[in-house]
Amino acid sequence: MSGQNHEHHVSSAGQLWAVAAGLFILTILTVVMAKFVAIPPPFDVIVALSIALVKAFLVAAFFMNLYWDTKFNAMLLLMAVAFFILMVSITLLDMLYRVDVVPSF
Amino acid sequence: MANHSTTQTAHVQHHFVDGDQQFDTAKLGMWVFLVNEILFFGGLFMAYIVYRAWYPELFTEAALELNTFWGAVNTIVLIGSSLTVAMAIRSAQKNQTKGLKINLLITIGLAIVFMVIKGFEYSHKFHLGIFPGQFYSYEGLQHAQAPIFFSIYYMMTGIHALHVIIGIGLMMWIYVRARRGEFGSDYYTPVEMTGLYWHLVDLIWIFLFPLLYLIE
Amino acid sequence: MATAEASPSGNMKTLQVKRYKPSENPKKTYLTEEKGLWSWLTTVDHKKIGLMYLGSVTFFFLLGGALALLLRTELLTPAKTFIEADTYNQFFTLHGAIMVFFVLVPSIPAALGNFILPMQLGAKDVAFPKLNLTSFYIYVIGAVFTFIALANNGLDTGWTFYTPYSTDSTSSVIWVTLGVFILGFSSILTGTNFIATIHKMRAPGITWGKLPLNLWALYATSIIQILATPVLAITLLLLTMERVLGMGIFDASMGGDPILFQHFFWFYSHPAVYIMIVPGFGIISEVITTFSKKHIFGYWAIALSSLAIAFIGFLVWGHHMFTSGQSGVATTIFSFLTFLVGIPTGIKILNWVATLYKGSIEMKTPMIYVFIFLFLFSIGGFTGIMLGSLAADIHLHDTYYVVAHFHYVMMGGTLIALLAGIHYWWPKMTGKMYNEFQAKIGAALIFIGFNMTFLPQFIMGSQGMPRRYYNYIDQFTIFHQTSTLGSYILGVGFLLIAWYLFRSLMSGEKAPSNPWGSRGLEWQATSPPDLHNFDHTPVVIHGPYDYHKPMEEFQLGLANSHNGHGHAEDIDVEKVSAH
Repeated sequence: MSGQNHEHHVSSAGQLWAVAAGLFILTILTVVMAKFVAIPPPFDVIVALSIALVKAFLVAAFFMNLYWDTKFNAMLLLMAVAFFILMVSITLLDMLYRVDVVPSF
Repeated sequence: MANHSTTQTAHVQHHFVDGDQQFDTAKLGMWVFLVNEILFFGGLFMAYIVYRAWYPELFTEAALELNTFWGAVNTIVLIGSSLTVAMAIRSAQKNQTKGLKINLLITIGLAIVFMVIKGFEYSHKFHLGIFPGQFYSYEGLQHAQAPIFFSIYYMMTGIHALHVIIGIGLMMWIYVRARRGEFGSDYYTPVEMTGLYWHLVDLIWIFLFPLLYLIE
Repeated sequence: MATAEASPSGNMKTLQVKRYKPSENPKKTYLTEEKGLWSWLTTVDHKKIGLMYLGSVTFFFLLGGALALLLRTELLTPAKTFIEADTYNQFFTLHGAIMVFFVLVPSIPAALGNFILPMQLGAKDVAFPKLNLTSFYIYVIGAVFTFIALANNGLDTGWTFYTPYSTDSTSSVIWVTLGVFILGFSSILTGTNFIATIHKMRAPGITWGKLPLNLWALYATSIIQILATPVLAITLLLLTMERVLGMGIFDASMGGDPILFQHFFWFYSHPAVYIMIVPGFGIISEVITTFSKKHIFGYWAIALSSLAIAFIGFLVWGHHMFTSGQSGVATTIFSFLTFLVGIPTGIKILNWVATLYKGSIEMKTPMIYVFIFLFLFSIGGFTGIMLGSLAADIHLHDTYYVVAHFHYVMMGGTLIALLAGIHYWWPKMTGKMYNEFQAKIGAALIFIGFNMTFLPQFIMGSQGMPRRYYNYIDQFTIFHQTSTLGSYILGVGFLLIAWYLFRSLMSGEKAPSNPWGSRGLEWQATSPPDLHNFDHTPVVIHGPYDYHKPMEEFQLGLANSHNGHGHAEDIDVEKVSAH
């Protein structure tokens, strides 16, 4: 037995460039949306974060190879995100519902 | 697993059966480590979310002090470096040592460009008196909680920058090993692991950029 | 030559196996193969690293324990007994910080877990041996930082480092927070290592359903370690920055929120109590089956309840903050979620007790500790449920009731489980037997001393005696004095244990390879084990608790393990392939 004898996914240069091109375009898009398109308040954040999520998906799936990798590694990433959301949402249960948000400051 | 493999190549450590097991194990370990990194930054994101919920107008006003143009340039630079790292891994997988070295050098170069731009942004702010916390002395933004925004800004970008510096170090180490010809299609674990780390640094920045620079 | 069905990765395949009976007189062991101090300090062998952790943990335990005895002595009289109030504050802070961060968190996973985990998997080592050694040295560096703090003003914030006091205190908060920050990395690296090892290094035949419950517990623990510890790291970094730069994030006068610090802190520190106790559950599962000579009752219930505890443990941190001023919504939800933790924990306790039913129970020392555990931990658990109920907690918060509760859980739970584990695996680790009679005396002293120390604290807590107080009113004198007396008995008990264990190293009887007749894979290695644990590749066809199957079927290894120099014998073909 030697080395890595089963197939590891090798992305083609074209694939990688296409992903990067997508990321560049999305970066420009998010700047344009924020600076030159007037989106009413809650939606501007939603748009910006949605674009960021798409970019994050591209990086994780194709640059970090999760698309071809074992599902367990992808699950680890999702678990990290899930626990982050858990931490924030439970904390917000306190922070947003204080009777007196930081009294007198 | 155990000691029953008959032929072992030099890079397979004694406690693994073969290179596959070693590679998969390393990759799993790396992903577990990345989970740590995400939750480490997660703490900072939590501080950000809490204070943005408490002081929405502070974040709108203070974000105007950040330079969107240079922030966007840095985003492009970092994505570019992610691309070159992915290309470096591809070169290693295809036994192209020259391509591996060139791509690593470009990545290191882009990472340094990122740090230089970051350095200019910081020094500009220090010049204005925008320091974190109690050292804040900027006259232009008189919001009572302005120091908190910049504390969060400096913590998030500072720790991110620290990760970039560590990444530069890692890639220099990989470059030195690549020059010695240690990597090829049968062994490129360290290249791939460093790549995963570098992509995560990119991932964090993908969220930092809109959250800090693009609040209107 | 026999064949056995084994499925290392789900797909069944037939392996050629032989029986490898462990040698009772191993010529070479991990202790004799490489000798000298240098070989220990630079070793990447998980067994030696485990023992180095065990040594460090013992050292810190004695330090923290000595502080506890000093605290109890001070509390003999209502007013000053022999130390100043400031010193008292420092002592209880250091007692807490040392016991939590330096003893309980690394005790079972890093010390016993390191030693046992690869052996139970039939692996030669953990997945990343060098990382394992690194994590030990990171632990040492963290300890050095803490000692620097001790030499400079000490620490008087309590082990929780609550803001705003921790940002104002003149003691060396930064050194300790950095020390604990560094220590966190040690914990993270151990957790990472264990997850990778359990996933990728299992011997042929060890499916998830044949994984010893100790490993399920360590797996759950590792998951908590990697998810919670980074949040502690960022919390401590923010606290350090708050002190250095006056960041304002936790400072109400700048618009920040000190309670946010508590959220940050308990997001780690509540799951951290499960980092401490869940590995203890693993040890109990191992010991209770071995000494009942019976299959564990409810294997999957115990295995999955570890994961359930790990998950629910992340949802309940706010019960430490019921009186902090957090919102009513959060308080109510946290109280409800807290009760949920009782379910998987109760499942475990009931399954252990059911395991005893019609078992052939052998009252050896480890088993005695299991019974002590069941008794003390149940008290700790039930009082925890009381503290989780909102109305009761308003009265009991920050009283000795809480102190007694977490000592019943952490000491009566984790530490007693650690003692059970040490006594259980001592013959394997050292190759020596300890004196059974003295060990039983020791266990009795621990049990009596422990209850004498902490039962009175429940009573005074419910009557309103606040924790961390230097003085107290006269009506509590009798409780405090009983408690102090109990702590001395406890101290004597621990010294006795240390003494007979030390003596067993010097002049103990030689241990057989499997003194308890366990079916666990780690007992099929020699005592003490070979440098690479086994001299063959073990093959597992039965679960680790199948006491109704003959021992020889637990001693299989690959027939073509080329450097096997054990006592390989052919075994009955049909017997093995029948399964």
